[in-house]
Amino acid sequence: MSMQGSTHGTRVSTRRLVHIYRSEGHEVAALSGVDLDVAPGEMVGLLGPSGAGKSTLLSLLAGVFKPSAGKVHVGAIELSQATPRELDEMRAKDVALMLQGASRNLLPYYTPYENVRFAQGAARKTGKDLPEPDEVLAGVGLEAEAHTPLATLTPGHRQLAALAVAMASRPGLLLADEPTSQLDHAARDKVLASIADANRQLGTTVVIVTHDPDVAAFLPRTITIRDGRVGGEGRSGEEYAVVTPDGFLPLPLHVREDLLPGTLVRFHLTDDGYVLIAEEKVDE
Amino acid sequence: MRLRYRPFQAVAIATLAALITACAAFAPMYDRAMRQALTDISIARTPAAVAGLQMTGTTQLGGFTFASHNRTDPPSPEVVADELPEDLRGSYGDPVLGYSALVVSEPGASSDPRGQLIWREGQCEHVTMVEGSCPDAAGEIAISEADAENFGLGAGDTVRVSGIPRDRGERTVVPSVPLVVTGIYEQQRDDYWFGLNLTGLSGVVDSTPPPHVQHDIWLTERGTFDSSEMPPLPNQASTVGYPLNADAVGVDDVLALGDEIERLADDARRDPANGVSIDVYSGLPDIADEIREQTKQSRITVPLLMAQLGLLAVVVLWLVLLAVTEQRRPEVALARLRGRGRQGARRLLLGELLPVTLAGVVPGVLLAVAGVALARTSVLPGSAPFELGVPLVAAVVLAAVVLTSVTVLAVLRVSREPVETLLRRVPPRPTGFALGVAEALVIAGAGSVVVLFATGGLEGPIALAAPGLLAIVVGMVLAHLTTPIAAVAGRRFLRNGRVRAGVSFLDAARSPATRRIVAIVTLASALAVFSADALLVGDRNRASASEQGAGAALVADVVGPDLAAVRNALDEVDPDGELVTPVVRLIPPGKDASSTLAVVPDEFQDIALFPGGAPDPALWDRIAVPEAEPIQITGSSLTVDIDDSTLRSKRLDGEPHPVQLGFDIINERGETLRVLLGELSEPAEHTPVDVPVGCREGCYLTGIWLRTLPGATIDGSATFRNLVGVSDTGDDPVDLGPAYLWAPFDDANDGSVTPISDDPEELTIEVHGNGASELTMSQVWLPGTVPALVAGDLPPGSDDNRFSLVNIDGEESDAARVATLERVPASPTETAVVNLDLVERGSAITSSAVIELWFAEDDDALLADVTAALDEHGVDLSGTTSLAGVRQGYDESTAAWSLQLAALIGAAALVIALLVLVVSAASSWRFRTRDLAALRMSGVPSRSIGAMAVAAQLPAVVVGVAAGALAGLIGARLALPIVPLFAAAPEVSTLDLGTAWGGVVLATLGALVVLGLGSVLIGRALAGRSDIRRLRETL
Repeated sequence: MSMQGSTHGTRVSTRRLVHIYRSEGHEVAALSGVDLDVAPGEMVGLLGPSGAGKSTLLSLLAGVFKPSAGKVHVGAIELSQATPRELDEMRAKDVALMLQGASRNLLPYYTPYENVRFAQGAARKTGKDLPEPDEVLAGVGLEAEAHTPLATLTPGHRQLAALAVAMASRPGLLLADEPTSQLDHAARDKVLASIADANRQLGTTVVIVTHDPDVAAFLPRTITIRDGRVGGEGRSGEEYAVVTPDGFLPLPLHVREDLLPGTLVRFHLTDDGYVLIAEEKVDE
Repeated sequence: MRLRYRPFQAVAIATLAALITACAAFAPMYDRAMRQALTDISIARTPAAVAGLQMTGTTQLGGFTFASHNRTDPPSPEVVADELPEDLRGSYGDPVLGYSALVVSEPGASSDPRGQLIWREGQCEHVTMVEGSCPDAAGEIAISEADAENFGLGAGDTVRVSGIPRDRGERTVVPSVPLVVTGIYEQQRDDYWFGLNLTGLSGVVDSTPPPHVQHDIWLTERGTFDSSEMPPLPNQASTVGYPLNADAVGVDDVLALGDEIERLADDARRDPANGVSIDVYSGLPDIADEIREQTKQSRITVPLLMAQLGLLAVVVLWLVLLAVTEQRRPEVALARLRGRGRQGARRLLLGELLPVTLAGVVPGVLLAVAGVALARTSVLPGSAPFELGVPLVAAVVLAAVVLTSVTVLAVLRVSREPVETLLRRVPPRPTGFALGVAEALVIAGAGSVVVLFATGGLEGPIALAAPGLLAIVVGMVLAHLTTPIAAVAGRRFLRNGRVRAGVSFLDAARSPATRRIVAIVTLASALAVFSADALLVGDRNRASASEQGAGAALVADVVGPDLAAVRNALDEVDPDGELVTPVVRLIPPGKDASSTLAVVPDEFQDIALFPGGAPDPALWDRIAVPEAEPIQITGSSLTVDIDDSTLRSKRLDGEPHPVQLGFDIINERGETLRVLLGELSEPAEHTPVDVPVGCREGCYLTGIWLRTLPGATIDGSATFRNLVGVSDTGDDPVDLGPAYLWAPFDDANDGSVTPISDDPEELTIEVHGNGASELTMSQVWLPGTVPALVAGDLPPGSDDNRFSLVNIDGEESDAARVATLERVPASPTETAVVNLDLVERGSAITSSAVIELWFAEDDDALLADVTAALDEHGVDLSGTTSLAGVRQGYDESTAAWSLQLAALIGAAALVIALLVLVVSAASSWRFRTRDLAALRMSGVPSRSIGAMAVAAQLPAVVVGVAAGALAGLIGARLALPIVPLFAAAPEVSTLDLGTAWGGVVLATLGALVVLGLGSVLIGRALAGRSDIRRLRETL
């Protein structure tokens, strides 16, 4: 399986990113100072419990929300300062957001082919050279279903169609929110493989929100969002804690279970680095 | 492709668009059809003589008189005919040319007949010669059968008539024109004669000075008028009759023709060139005016009704488009996420919705055309051609603009939303009681219009939408309150453990469809109720006006004043007076006087129609005939003794003055005789009286009077005994008592005359006069004052309840208003109703009285029986007026036709509301079935789910119907005063704009049944589709 058309990945970075939801007089901080850097062509997973702020972060990267504070850089654009026209152009050419649930990414009355063509419309107007819809669909293995009504496709094929639509304009950044939810294993693997192909063959930067540990294991780099902050990072199977810009160090979950709040720790410098020593543990 | 995905929505939107277009297109076409129908029936109802054009040419030189001794031939008929402009002739048939003159048979005595002599082109084809032949040479005439009989004329006889006097030197010579009778004609009644009756005057004396006997119209040949061998005849004129070509004259032609004819008539009168005068007469300008007037009315009612329906359809379309655009928010979000921007999102939606909306235009026009075609066949009379004119095109363009605007606005609303909002599954809404800006603006704007209208500060087209706007305000406010109230109620139900009700109410509160349904159901129900009320109020008022105008189911006019013969005939046909009753109508000269209607109360109150309810039956007793025998005197003189008189009269200066006593007697001709019995200067024990009276055929003693000087008092008493009518055949003793046969006179100002007597043979009176010159005590059988039930004001100069009315003898009588009637059927506003049996006493009916027969039923057989009975008594009927005929007159008007639209509007409003329920369900069924499926999954029984699905929508419908009914009622009260109910206001108003409760209740129940049932079925359908599989994501 190969994808026609080339692109280059888009760099993503956030600095002290804060987002607050306001609803019926209440304010909820979804993100409380997130620093994140994703290199061009990198494939990153955003992990974390429900309500941690993963999807909010994804929406901020897509320019759907304006951050309450902080900066978001997607390629050359700083999204908090971007005009609607700049955002439209960015979405047309550079950033694709795959919403959770295949149907939310597809116009229900169109075939996969027509959906891809529709998704390419705005990018084509900017003069971007794009492959034909058939080629895009072939890229995700849907060439046979190009003209099949959506309602008759399997869930896995629909998700592939949604991926094809997201990749239709050959974006530099693919933001995918739970792209494998509600799929069986085979379909999930197929979708992940297609995303990986896009990342590998087109150089597209990929940020995936997922709950699925299997998906997380598939990704070379994962970032765990916890309580609106970056709570940890995994690289090649190794999990790291990440020091926040204001000097806090979120403990990994398994450590938190052991070191209850109030526990006194101290850091000891050794030749291999810092060792954390719990001086006075609090019992449950 | 997109249409196939949501075909029902597309059909619903196109249907609404079609309805809006139909509303817009129907109004001008129906208006046009009404005007055409009105034109047709106006011309058809108008006699040919009135609808056509008649021109009369005469020559009137300055200073010309009958004896000017100059020949003054009028212009020839051809010249007169040419006065009609060429471009107008297409509207008329071929002219009928003619001449006329007024001829006097020689030597011109009052017994020598005079009358019209005419020639009309083609006249011989329109008469039947019963003897001889039609004239075909100058100097020949044909006469009527009546003339032949009355004046002893026959074919071959010669009648000499006078020509115009001519100067012959010093002398004036009146040429004698011999006219030879060639035959006797019988007129064929047809339009050719332009309403001219050739017969009916023969032998009738014309009292116009000098009195003379008349002959019928004589027919002659043209040469009699324009042959140089014939001397000119007096009052010679040429005539032209243009029959209207009704088939060639449409509504626009009538209006234009009316103006042209009016101008022609004015010009002809203003410009009598060379002494030639051409008079133009046509009823067409009046017909045109009537059409214009009724058209004005139709331009109130039709838009009033169609605007409400159009408004409803536009609001519904708006809400439906909001629902469907809301449903497409994810698609809009996708377009935005793919970089298409707001403009691209707009294009996406407009590309789908605008063609669907505009697709409704053509079906809408076809629907309107079909509707008008149906109306033309089922509602409107006449058979004018179907016309599609510029107003239709304008209306369709307007509809297309409105449809496009509504669609664009609905699309704009969604496409402007930020992506963040578009991505939410449920769109954010104002919570609680907060109002959106648009809603607040609509409520404030519509509310202001309603308030302005209600306070009389608004007129014109916008006022016509006031009822609809009121319903919008009520609907929107209610819709706005419903959601938070339902939420509060739902939570309370849940707290109290009533899960099913709680879930239903909360479902209603969170559903965007709830507000929409409340608003639309309110508006549709208001329109249904308003329409039903308007329709029935109009119908009721036309029925009332018809009853008032007709008086009874059938009213026949009797020729002549032979009341006795009429009553005898009626006694034979209907002895109990249950089917037909005589009514005598007296219309006094002068507009201030009350007209008098003499009736038989027991019969009249059952047979006459009283719109708004019959008067209290007890009222009729107040004009009942007194149950007393008359005192009859027969003889050429009478004798009476005046005994025990203590009567004294004292003048202002204290000096005594004689008292005159007398009797009022009515003779057999109904004439009142004032008989002076004598003078009493001082108290006297016995005064015998013997006075002559003309009562050989019998008289009635109707009153005793006393007279003195004005200002002088009278006091005392006297006894009348031994009253005897003396004649050649013998004496006739008459009883004067006892006292109850007399009506005591008692007046606070004038004084009193009181009868006292237990003895039938004598009568004592006690008198107390305060200064009146005359005091009269009436005999009970014939009261001196006629009791009357009076409608309207008493005539000017009436004193309290005392007034004068015209009695059946044509004379003025004193009358007393004993009760008031709101109206008198088939009578002017100011009318006095009296008892026919009472006023007939001692009175002969005047020839100016009009006798009518009022029938309880419009029954041809009964009419035939009565006609036959009358015929046997030598009485004819001249014509009839039926309730149905009067009603037809009111029904065949643009006012009535316009209101009949209300039935259509009400039904259409309910259909539209039903459509909204269905569309709302269709656009939200996925969410709702998923919710219900979730409940099903959590173990809620199917039955409860069904009940919840129904209960989520039904309360909104019920609330909307109730509020709509109220809004419709108030709207009707506001708007009905500006709705024309009649082409012309009836002479006597029976206007009643009170609510037609039957219609209102029926319309409310209809709305409840249609919408409630629809809501239940939709709820059940949703419950039926709430399978657990719905919980899986579906496309």
